[in-house]
Amino acid sequence: MAVEERDPFTGYLTTGHEWNGIKELNTPVPRAVFFFLIVTALYALVYWILMPAWPLGVTYTKGLLGIDQRKVVAESIKEAALERSVWTKRIETESFKDIQADPRLMNVVRQTGGALFGDNCAACHGPKAEGGKGFPTLVSSSWLWGGDPEAIAETIRVGINSPHKDTRVSQMMAFGRDSILKKDEIDNVADYVRSLSDPAVAKTVTAAKLEAGKAVFTANCVACHGDNAAGNPELGAPNLTDKFWLYGGDAQSVFTTVWGGRQGHMPTWDARLSPLDRKILALYLVDRRHATP
Amino acid sequence: MNIFRLHYRLERKTIGFLLAIVGVASIGGAVEIAPLFTIHQTVEDAPDMRVYTPLEIAGRNIYLREGCYACHSQMIRTLRDEVERYGPYSLAVESKYDHPMLWGSKRTGPDLARMGNKYSDEWHVAHMTDPRAVVPASVMPPYAYLGRATARIDDLGLHLKALRTVGVPYTDEMIANATADAYGQAAPDTPFAEGVTKRYGEATNVRSFDGKVGDPTELDALIAYLQILGKLTDAAHRPVAAAGE
Amino acid sequence: MIAQLTKSERQLALVILLAITICGLAMGIAGRDDPLGVHGAIVILAGLAGIFGVIYAYYEPEPSEARLALYYDDPSKVGIILAMGWVLIGLFIGDWVAWQLVFPNLTFDAGWSSFGRIRPAHTSAVIFGFGGNALIATSFYVLQRTSRARLPDQLSPWFVLLGYNLFCIIAATGYLMGVTQSKEYAEPEWYADIWLVVVWVAYFIIYLRTLVRRKEPHIYVSNWYYMAFILVVAILHIVNNLAVPVSWGHAKSYSAFSGVQDAMTQWWYGHNAVAFFLTSGFLGMMYYYMPIRAGRPIFSYRLSIISFWGITFMYMWAGSHHLHYTALPQWVQTLGMTFSIMLLVPSWASAGNALLTLNGAWHKVRDDATLRFMMVAAVFYGLSTFEGSFMAIRSVNSLSHYTDWTVGHVHAGALGWVAMITFGSIYASVPWLWKRERMYSDRLVEWHFWLALSGTLVYVFAMWNSGIIQGLMWRTYTESGTLAYSFVDSVAAMRPYYIARAIGGLMFLSGAVIGCVNIWMTIRAAHQPADERLADRPVPRPAGVPAFQPGE
Ligand code: HEC
Ligand code: HEC
Ligand code: HEC
Ligand code: HEM
Ligand code: HEM
Ligand SMILES: [Ca+2]
Ligand SMILES: [Ca+2]
Ligand SMILES: [Cu+2]
Repeated sequence: MAVEERDPFTGYLTTGHEWNGIKELNTPVPRAVFFFLIVTALYALVYWILMPAWPLGVTYTKGLLGIDQRKVVAESIKEAALERSVWTKRIETESFKDIQADPRLMNVVRQTGGALFGDNCAACHGPKAEGGKGFPTLVSSSWLWGGDPEAIAETIRVGINSPHKDTRVSQMMAFGRDSILKKDEIDNVADYVRSLSDPAVAKTVTAAKLEAGKAVFTANCVACHGDNAAGNPELGAPNLTDKFWLYGGDAQSVFTTVWGGRQGHMPTWDARLSPLDRKILALYLVDRRHATP
Repeated sequence: MNIFRLHYRLERKTIGFLLAIVGVASIGGAVEIAPLFTIHQTVEDAPDMRVYTPLEIAGRNIYLREGCYACHSQMIRTLRDEVERYGPYSLAVESKYDHPMLWGSKRTGPDLARMGNKYSDEWHVAHMTDPRAVVPASVMPPYAYLGRATARIDDLGLHLKALRTVGVPYTDEMIANATADAYGQAAPDTPFAEGVTKRYGEATNVRSFDGKVGDPTELDALIAYLQILGKLTDAAHRPVAAAGE
Repeated sequence: MIAQLTKSERQLALVILLAITICGLAMGIAGRDDPLGVHGAIVILAGLAGIFGVIYAYYEPEPSEARLALYYDDPSKVGIILAMGWVLIGLFIGDWVAWQLVFPNLTFDAGWSSFGRIRPAHTSAVIFGFGGNALIATSFYVLQRTSRARLPDQLSPWFVLLGYNLFCIIAATGYLMGVTQSKEYAEPEWYADIWLVVVWVAYFIIYLRTLVRRKEPHIYVSNWYYMAFILVVAILHIVNNLAVPVSWGHAKSYSAFSGVQDAMTQWWYGHNAVAFFLTSGFLGMMYYYMPIRAGRPIFSYRLSIISFWGITFMYMWAGSHHLHYTALPQWVQTLGMTFSIMLLVPSWASAGNALLTLNGAWHKVRDDATLRFMMVAAVFYGLSTFEGSFMAIRSVNSLSHYTDWTVGHVHAGALGWVAMITFGSIYASVPWLWKRERMYSDRLVEWHFWLALSGTLVYVFAMWNSGIIQGLMWRTYTESGTLAYSFVDSVAAMRPYYIARAIGGLMFLSGAVIGCVNIWMTIRAAHQPADERLADRPVPRPAGVPAFQPGE
């Protein structure tokens, strides 16, 4: 049977067993171990008494403090809203003009707008609101639906071609696919439209072609884009005489636009963002536009 | 000390030792898991809750297949910053039909629990095809091949049946029409579209998600799924205060 | 390999392999237009290769009775080689995953190579491929020596080892094809899960039969841990993987649980996969190789008892710390948190027991990189369990959860503890197994050690930084009381740390490559029977006595 021996280095006895050369000392468990076992167990005990902890069949112990994570977060959000109310009240109630005139409030808008825009809008409109193919820039002077803060806030609220009941509706017809225009007519009107914003185009195509294009335009497009092609914010029809393009201004893109039509989708933020957030975003965008050269 | 004596004897008995391990190790899980089935408040009531459509199931399976859960959570915690960033915190009932749940453990990308209707289909197409085309700082992989692959929908009836076995209330009619409904949900101008809203509710998204006509692609299915995230029930938006109500 | 099997074992092997081939055939036919069919083909190939191998050597002479006087170590040898193969694969994929977060287009526009598919390939290759093979190999080695009994037969260890690797291959190839249950660390689909149960039962039976026949009155600590590893992993695996397949011809299945119950079951599993796969099993390894290498007795037998039962009991309660602040009822979170904190005590008791065992052998730690691997492993074990208990506190977890801090914690445990203790144990056992006096090159072991240590530190520090920055950015508020950063801002801020982590991983990988070369050269070196360790033999079994014998 087991024969204990003393380990010369530590002075403790072994248990007397040996496995393939391994021995074990019978060192007593250091006190610290029991101490910390008891301390952590006491901590747990107190925590169990105070907090929801143990299941009891069809219910559980609720804890003396009556704490519940859902109540806690609701509280903390309410509290934070209260703290913010020093400035939120003013933004909510004052007119855009008054807010814009108050540098302190605009500072708050700048602070707040960045993350709000980044988390909700930047995916489409780009990190700097500069837009991209299919998604309009929001820092230019050219606006589909009008660039004053009221109009912007309304666009954000209802969206464009969105499921919202008051949505802004815009639709560029599919002149080619729906056989309203023939291919060469579209070719011509595309060149004409491009020539409106880019004088260089006029040099590469014949005058006759531009004339033909202009005729097509007058017959088909002015209804929406206006007599001088400057757009119509009632319909969300873009201005075609400036250098901003939603879907690209090269010959191919414009042809595709007129051939297949366009119907951009901007989500509604009515249910997702509060009126306050939407107002901040509108102000933020106007401010960004002024700050962008 | 006594326990050491006891142990000294126990460690000579193979079977006894094995049983001791099994016994000691079983307690924790039993106490924590079993009551989740018996305590009623664990899962909130949500009478308006609907099941996933077959196309959404197909999309969800692509989400699993691609391992999106490795980067995206679908669980908004009860913390102020999460609620302010993503929307109302997630309720247990919202993943009641999720076999398995996709709460996730890592947010390399943002939480997706409230992704439904946040962005447009066009954006999702652009983003899945090349994330950096729309979000320059993104580290998400490109999934262009999803737009090229036709989704497998011929076996969706079997999927719904398996889901019913594990407790999702699909009706016989839903199971019988699974393939047709999957087709119809992404083909609004066909006769198949009608059945989808009839069986799954008027609010169901019926449209070509990837903007192309024809058989639904994997991208169609995935976007159909992304657009329903957080929309199966409104429960989270109602002022539920605490578990225990 | 085959030559060591008796005639009846060869016949049994053929039967088993035939059954496997038929299963593969059934999978292939039922799943012909599904990834299941590909797996059927893999199974058929594996079965046929086995059949061919057995038939090829079928008429070789049977092993002599003399074999019974020696331990049966060939499965351990092959297991170690497989483990080293898997670690190269796993670390390579891990580093690739890491670089993908720096250069996201590193997927070559393919599906199989995208982040979400190769990430589980990484975790499974390192945990199951590397860790699992190392555990099987060392457990057979340790089990025999601490029981002074030979494995019960020659066939079942091969069944376990090779069957387990078939599971690993099905798992890894499955992820690349998109076959996954998407339950972390339990991703393989239903048929792979069932196969693993079969293999695991065989593994358990080997353990049981050997222990029952042991010639030591007491079961050694290592075997407590290995047994807990085998048993509890079986329980976890079976419960968490309950699922209903779409059909017999589909790889896909739907988990039996949903929503909150599924979440709790998954993290009860996930956390205890850490506990019983990545901790318990490797503690078994440590309790054998460390005292032997150091030439010191275990510091305290009683401490071993306290920590073993503490770990076995308390870990099982802690899983809910993965679900703090979620839709899991708060009472469960409370239990998870409090038990995680109590758990620190037995965890540190093991770490302390290991480090105090080194008292009287610190000069060896200084000179011997193999022992240093084990020492550093014990330190990282202490560190990562402390960190774990800290992160399990709800308020801390509110910051760390979902961030790279978790990934940092994982790799402090995985690289610092799991991989280091394994490398140490492998360096210790390779010369013993192959009967060499020493490793081919001690300098290369040094190189491996320093590369592994510095790689780990770079990795872990990078992730602590990125995780905490990420967590803070998500909850930073402006003076006005609104969120200061958008989510994408935090993505952009991670870039430098992701680069650092990928470089740290590359260092760790290089170390492992060096290790493989060293081991390979050791195996190839001339046989040196000098140190035959005469005592390294089982207690002989008298001929004609049945294999089963009571323990005493
Ligand atoms: C899913 C993509 C998407 C998201 C997200 C998005 N938008 Fe838009 N937005 C669009 C598209 C597309 C248009 C143009 C619609 C059209 O083609 O007529 C647009 C148009 C607008 C306009 C009108 C521009 C004009 O010239 O009149 C404003 C203002 C605007 N968005 C602001 C926002 C704000 C603020 C947010 C965030 C709360 C936001 N958008 C989020 C896609 C998006
Ligand atoms: C029914 C009204 C309507 C008519 C008629 C119409 N458009 Fe448009 N057009 C729009 C709207 C609305 C948009 C913006 C679509 C969007 O934002 O998605 C648009 C967009 C465009 C654009 C894209 C501008 C950009 O920035 O990319 C071009 C080019 C264009 N129209 C040219 C034409 C031409 C040429 C015609 C006649 C052949 C025409 N449109 C007729 C409503 C109309
Ligand atoms: C390598 C990690 C990674 C993987 C894998 C990944 N994503 Fe992402 N995802 C991101 C990151 C980072 C962002 C934020 C930047 C952006 O919008 O691209 C993101 C953003 C998103 C968004 C927009 C969220 C928002 O609120 O702006 C959606 C939707 C999305 N991912 C869906 C998916 C789907 C579906 C998959 C799988 C097919 C997937 N992701 C796989 C990292 C990933
Ligand atoms: C070369 C060394 C390694 C590198 C570069 C590496 C890299 C990575 C990366 C990039 C991830 C994904 C993290 C994310 O999603 O952000 C990861 C996850 C993981 N790795 Fe590693 N890894 C290495 C070694 C190991 C080893 C040796 C193990 C285990 C023994 C391991 C276990 C894990 C686990 C468990 C995860 C999942 C973590 C989680 O989900 O939180 N890794 N690794
Ligand atoms: C006392 C011991 C330990 C405790 C209490 C503990 C606790 C934790 C906690 C709180 C998390 C984060 C969960 C989250 O927020 O998502 C975590 C994650 C993790 N830990 Fe530990 N840990 C311990 C030891 C270890 C060890 C030794 C390893 C060895 C490798 C390890 C591996 C992991 C892994 C892989 C994860 C990631 C799980 C996931 O995919 O999300 N842990 N642990
Ligand atoms: Ca994880
Ligand atoms: Ca599984
Ligand atoms: Cu854990």
